Amino acid sequence: MEKELLLTDLEPNQKGEIVSVLGGAMATKRLADLGLSSGTKIKIIKKAPFSGPIKIEFYESRLVLGRGLASKILVKIIQNEE
Amino acid sequence: MRNKKKLNIVLAGQANVGKSVIFNHLTGLHQHIGNWAGKTVEKAEGTLFYKGYSIDVLDLPGIYSLTTYSLEELISREYIAVQKPDFVINVVSATNLERNLLFTLQLLELERPIVIALNMFDLIKHKGIEIDFQKLEELLNVPIVPTIGAQRKGLTKVLDSGIKLIRNSASKHKSLLKYGKEVEERIEVLIKDLANIKTLYPKRWLAIKLLEKDKAIEMLINNTGVLSKTKKLINELEKIHGHDSSIVIAQERCFLSSQILQKVMKITKPKKITLSEKWGNVTSHKFWGYLIMVTILLLMFLSVFQFGDWFSSMLEKIGSGFHTKWDAVFGVSVLASLAWSAIEGVIALIEIALPYIIPFYLILFLLEDWGYLARVAFLTDSFMHRMGVHGKACIPLILGFGCNVPACLSCRIMETERERFLTGFLTTLVPCAAVTVIIMGLVGKFVGIGWALGLYLFAIIVIFILGKIASKILPGEPTELIMEMPEYKQPNLKTVILQTWFRLKKFICIATPVVVISGVIIEAVRLLNGLPFIANLLSPITVNWLGLPSITGILLILGILRKELILVMLATLMGTTNFIEVMTPVQMITLALVSMFYIPCVATIAALWKEFGWKKTLIISLFEITFAIVIAGIISKILTILWI
Repeated sequence: MEKELLLTDLEPNQKGEIVSVLGGAMATKRLADLGLSSGTKIKIIKKAPFSGPIKIEFYESRLVLGRGLASKILVKIIQNEE
Repeated sequence: MRNKKKLNIVLAGQANVGKSVIFNHLTGLHQHIGNWAGKTVEKAEGTLFYKGYSIDVLDLPGIYSLTTYSLEELISREYIAVQKPDFVINVVSATNLERNLLFTLQLLELERPIVIALNMFDLIKHKGIEIDFQKLEELLNVPIVPTIGAQRKGLTKVLDSGIKLIRNSASKHKSLLKYGKEVEERIEVLIKDLANIKTLYPKRWLAIKLLEKDKAIEMLINNTGVLSKTKKLINELEKIHGHDSSIVIAQERCFLSSQILQKVMKITKPKKITLSEKWGNVTSHKFWGYLIMVTILLLMFLSVFQFGDWFSSMLEKIGSGFHTKWDAVFGVSVLASLAWSAIEGVIALIEIALPYIIPFYLILFLLEDWGYLARVAFLTDSFMHRMGVHGKACIPLILGFGCNVPACLSCRIMETERERFLTGFLTTLVPCAAVTVIIMGLVGKFVGIGWALGLYLFAIIVIFILGKIASKILPGEPTELIMEMPEYKQPNLKTVILQTWFRLKKFICIATPVVVISGVIIEAVRLLNGLPFIANLLSPITVNWLGLPSITGILLILGILRKELILVMLATLMGTTNFIEVMTPVQMITLALVSMFYIPCVATIAALWKEFGWKKTLIISLFEITFAIVIAGIISKILTILWI
């Protein structure tokens, strides 16, 4: 029912919930330390042009992730409640 | 009760929580920025006198977690666990509580007395957030003091709480927090196994780290019994959770911190878009963002160079008056000349440092404190990635246009050794203010401004290509950008000025001895009439290959000292400042090209040495000499054919 896509495929203002992280142990651990692991809800704030980094919001705080790292995060879209 | 009048405390926290502002307020001018022994990580220390105590404060680098991902993290946890500071001030941003809590939870595991400074407490109101900090205090079992670092509010209370902690002889922190049952059981098992192992680290922490597969700790323990037991426990955990054990524990922490948050935080009203957010949107916009970035950077360069030009010519006048006086007093003798060359080195440094480096630093730190540099990193990340580094590398590269020395030193903002070295190498190729003097004074003035700008463009292309090649050659994976995007805030002038001052002090310390010593050596060679000899020696390269007048050999040797000497001495040796009479346009372009790349100046070499060791410095220098000669020779030949 819910399609799984990469975090980089979401558009600004879309929300997603992390399903899993595809990268190696290092990247996965790094993201988990930041609070990004399966179940975390993320909102895309902005995508830098020219395949640049992605600015995301989670837990009321914002973070910039390089595109390569962001493309390792698998999410499912959360439809806006409103 | 301990009655110690000297205390050791550390400030720990994630990036962008206002830690350095608090550090500056606590220690003021009584601080010292050095290096961690043998590491290229900055160590900021200071002393503060409070209620009869002399308190040594150490500002740990801003980090995200205490795993072994980066040097900073490794150093921080080692310091806290092994040096055992009297207490730790954990600076936490109230606006970012949940993520900050993840770090706090790890800090608590190190079992030192902790006071939490809940900083930026004034900002949460605007965001419509309420935090019940008394409740949080209860849950974490640590004193919490709301602070507003920028206004100095709450800082004395933080110190009071810390001192009280020590008085109550709470030498250890007792955590009330527990992870999930499966994990806790295994931690218990490991703690028992660790009982006989002598170590400075807390046992529970070691057990957790072992379960997290922390390589550094596995090496530290180095006990096959414990390690094989760990492996078994990890396997069990991974079977239950279906994830890597390190992720399991990170998730446990996430879960714990979100549970805590649910109990202490309330969001009272929906967020409104503030002015700073609107400005934030514009400055990272795909069109306006770049336009604003280019404008700001151009304005910065123009104003620094305008000011620097005016100021340094003024200083030069004072300096040259000095020389005549010196000759009048000491006469013209070998000793007097040598002594003068030493003094000249110091004067030269002042002439570069005061007019160019200080304004450059001031503006740069102002931009950083304001929150703008993070936007630059955001906008340039994809471009930077093409040369193997990420967005943060653009800050050293921009600095390089002012002076390569601070640029090399600032490579520390990169996370891994590989990135540091790569960025350091690239910054030495950036045309600094001295090279700009040559390019503008020679090519810009006599060949045409278009050619001068062309040289800059060429430099950028070279940096780009060499970066790409170097990132392929260097072992290791490129790191991805992970960066906090701070909200714009009013820059704190005191922080900016202090930052500038400490960096300047460091620049002077590194550069002065090298410039003075090498200046004296070259003067001695000159007095022994060795310069024409060197010029002859180099003439196969300078005359035959590069097609330059043979005196350029002398210039290139002097240029190692300070690159703008190439232009100054050209005028002296040729006896004219109208260079078009003595050189062809092709020769001017070739000389400018060689000057741009051929070797980092001595001060930069010293900085490289300090940061990366002599081996890498030698590699960079030798490579750049060869590269400059080859590329300038080829271009000179091409241009000679085209020019006719």
